[in-house]
Amino acid sequence: MGNFDSTSSLAIVLFAALIHASFQASISVLTLMSGHALGKKASHGRLLRLAGGFVAGVGVMTALLLSAAAFVSSQLLLGSTPALVWAAVCGAMLGAGLSVWLFYYKNGSGTSLWIPRHLASYLNDRSKATKQSAEAFGLGLTSVLAELLFVFAPVVVAALVLIRLSPELQLIGTLLYVTVATLPLVAVGALIGAGHTLASIQKWRESNKKFLQFAAGGGLFALGLYVYVDRVIVATISAAGVQ
Amino acid sequence: MGLAIDVVKRSGKRPTEAFDREKLLRSIVAACLSVRTPEGEAESTAGLVTDHVTLWVVTKPAVTSSDLRRQASTHLQRYHPEAAYFYPRHKIII
Repeated sequence: MGNFDSTSSLAIVLFAALIHASFQASISVLTLMSGHALGKKASHGRLLRLAGGFVAGVGVMTALLLSAAAFVSSQLLLGSTPALVWAAVCGAMLGAGLSVWLFYYKNGSGTSLWIPRHLASYLNDRSKATKQSAEAFGLGLTSVLAELLFVFAPVVVAALVLIRLSPELQLIGTLLYVTVATLPLVAVGALIGAGHTLASIQKWRESNKKFLQFAAGGGLFALGLYVYVDRVIVATISAAGVQ
Repeated sequence: MGLAIDVVKRSGKRPTEAFDREKLLRSIVAACLSVRTPEGEAESTAGLVTDHVTLWVVTKPAVTSSDLRRQASTHLQRYHPEAAYFYPRHKIII
């Protein structure tokens, strides 16, 4: 079970990246960091440098996570990926989808996330203390780890798909994943850079949080089912047909 | 300058502290600046709001930091609705 067409594989990577992009921890930290920077009278240039450093940190950590997951998978699954592994990953995605639907946001107003409170508090404090691009870069790295519980599923499925592609397509797939996963941050950074107020960005996030939660959970469900059909059922039938 | 009024912190884990008008003023200035209000306007708005909150505070022996934030938001709503929206939210963004 190793020969899947590259279009289907890249489509899975793209869909996994879109799900990753719908998670909100990094956007929350970027909003908060920008708010503190503006509150401390940071110049426009410094604000953009901080936002740029932060987005770069998120991109690098996303690439590192994906590469690490791919490396571990390729070492553990030599030759091909057994249907049992795909089935387990699909189960994990359905579980993650259900968790997102039930727990992603904390109850009440605002966009508080269901992540460990001491970690949220740490990110809150760091976003206030961040004054240089290098610190913003580190904050970007950390913010991805904060919601590892949720991003784990799309990262693993993308890694499992990537390890069966040619090296060129692996590189393209990784770049595609990282680019798509960081697009919302780039968009928020561009809005801040263009002079939009953080209140308007936060208002939009709050009024659409249920939709974003539904989309992320539903996306995980849909991807889990698609991968199950594509990598388990179809592959099993094809293998039986060949014999 | 601290008045002899205790401010009980949000979680109750940190020790109480005396009410500090300057600290409140700075936090409101920062909220106004974070929604891109010009510096002068931010300072005058913060001054007005801080006056209202100080008048409310002096009648109490102790207040919580959440009470202060709520009072400041209520008065800020009159002068700067956008800052009033953002001001109480920094703890509920992440």
